[in-house]
Amino acid sequence: MPADDRLVGDPAQAGSGAEGTLIVGYGNALRGDDSLGWHAVERLADVPRLRGARVVWRHQLAPELADDLSKVSLAILIDVSAEVEAGALSVRRLEPPPAAGSAWSHHIEPASLAALARELYGAAPVVFVVSVGAASLEVGDRLSPAVEAALPAVVAAVVAIVAEHGSPGGSAG
Amino acid sequence: MSREIVIDPVTRIEGHSRITIQLDDRGEVVDAHFHVTQFRGFERITQGRPVHEMPAIMARICGICPVSHLVASAKAVDDILAVQPPPTGADLRRVINLGQIVQSNALSFFHLSAPDLLFGFDADPAKRNVIALARENPGLAKDGIALRKWGQQIIEWLGGKRIHPTGIVPGGVAEPLTAEVRDRILAGVPDAIAAVERAIAWYKTDMLRWEEEAATFGNFRTAFMGLVDRQGNPDHYDGWLRVIDADGKYLADRVDPCNFNDYIGEAVEPWSYLKSTYWKAMGYPDGIYRVGPLARVNIAERMGTPRADEELEKFRWRVGRVAGSSFHYHYARLIDTLHCIERIDQLLRGPDILSKHVRSRAEVNRLEGIGVSEAPRGTLMHHYKVDEDGIVQWANLIIATGHNNMAMNRAVLQVARHHVKGDRLDEPMLNRVEAVIRCYDPCLSCSTHALGQMALRIQLLGPDGAVLDDLAR
Repeated sequence: MPADDRLVGDPAQAGSGAEGTLIVGYGNALRGDDSLGWHAVERLADVPRLRGARVVWRHQLAPELADDLSKVSLAILIDVSAEVEAGALSVRRLEPPPAAGSAWSHHIEPASLAALARELYGAAPVVFVVSVGAASLEVGDRLSPAVEAALPAVVAAVVAIVAEHGSPGGSAG
Repeated sequence: MSREIVIDPVTRIEGHSRITIQLDDRGEVVDAHFHVTQFRGFERITQGRPVHEMPAIMARICGICPVSHLVASAKAVDDILAVQPPPTGADLRRVINLGQIVQSNALSFFHLSAPDLLFGFDADPAKRNVIALARENPGLAKDGIALRKWGQQIIEWLGGKRIHPTGIVPGGVAEPLTAEVRDRILAGVPDAIAAVERAIAWYKTDMLRWEEEAATFGNFRTAFMGLVDRQGNPDHYDGWLRVIDADGKYLADRVDPCNFNDYIGEAVEPWSYLKSTYWKAMGYPDGIYRVGPLARVNIAERMGTPRADEELEKFRWRVGRVAGSSFHYHYARLIDTLHCIERIDQLLRGPDILSKHVRSRAEVNRLEGIGVSEAPRGTLMHHYKVDEDGIVQWANLIIATGHNNMAMNRAVLQVARHHVKGDRLDEPMLNRVEAVIRCYDPCLSCSTHALGQMALRIQLLGPDGAVLDDLAR
């Protein structure tokens, strides 16, 4: 599988509860803590309890991900946040997307992506956003100590979400 | 008493810019400028780097068209190494470059410009976005997404990653193509062609709505430039430079792109970080020319692929042999996309496409190299000088958007003169001034996707600096 997009574990071995789950880490891999998404998917791709989940890294969210979202029952988006204290973990479930179209920004926002999946494909999964407060977004491929320290908590949060909301073979159909 | 309108930033383009419109004391537009307000500096950043690193570094210039920089940079390094990629290596470079043009053209047409074309330039700005587009015309939105995905998958499968791929290297490509990947790409061709043909049919149905815009959106006489093959068809990877004037007469043909410095000059204006290039024989600023999809269809004898040729005939029947209006970039972009898909199909069906011989290797054999290819937005030029150890001493880049800089400025002025009246500002006026820039699909940020609608504020200032009108969204 290409590095940007892979299945966790052997897809022939089902039954982890993670099938039908899409995990998207996103951000610029060369801008310090903005590389959290990239670092997170690198770790998550080797977690046995996520076997069967599709794990992808994207530079940023773009409209074509709506198609991927529409095909799963659970989506977890991982990014850094400038609104959370540095190193602090935030987990939030996205509210159902608004009926009205939201403004299209520099990149598409998680809620707009879910709305697009619903508008275009008639299906939107349960979406969680897992984020960590950024300490530094300067040029570099390393995480700050605060965000690096939060990586295990990100993995644990994703595993917990999948355990609670994942469904074997599930899709939003 | 002169006054100035400032549109800052310009939205739904890649990068950061603003527009200023100068009014005289009667409220008539006397001048307008498209200012590029960001600075990247890759020509300096790369000094002191080993030349073999250049493709990977240069791909970082842009998150939309990294493959174009990768291709042009690899070709410049090929020139320094004095190597030719094996034919299969060159063809795989072509395929990945074409895949990128498909996905980039799709972003421009389906996601950035279609909201204007679907809802109209007078529509509520809250409607002019992809969500509303999806609701109003889901088929169009889905086709855009499907084309983007297919193009990006080609980049990922051949280049290793969707953004900033590494599969193109000096001397060719890193890995040969497998039959499995070839077949996966080929399987998507019929759907990709169908998606573009639906968009063309939709666009043509609506085309008459935009007669006023076609007449005023950068509709003027300029030269056009691009790369063509031996038959005069567009060549997005290699070939010769051809330049025609507004009547279709050749200003230059079969020019080795490595000699571009003999023909193209560069000028700098104090109000923008974007260089302006000009046709030397006509001087600055008269030597204005355009590049990109409109130029590619204008300079071509034919497109060289059956469906695109058929559509080119219809295009020329509608707008003439040499289309002068920048509004027709949209239509041309769709024909260009159709051609790219057909070329991908042709190349992947080549008998040697699975050859294992995809890379030539050499050390530094020349101290200077030039690489030229077609990017989604037009002709892209990389020019490097190195020392005996292959350390980069100097680099010069001419990006497609730079070729179009003078034309974009002139287009903004034309639209402003037609639509801006007195001391009144309104959203449709603002949107049209921005939309003419979108026709060119400029890539200013060259670093990340910029899909969108940023915060926008326009102020109309009086001669004493007082705010006469203020519009924000």
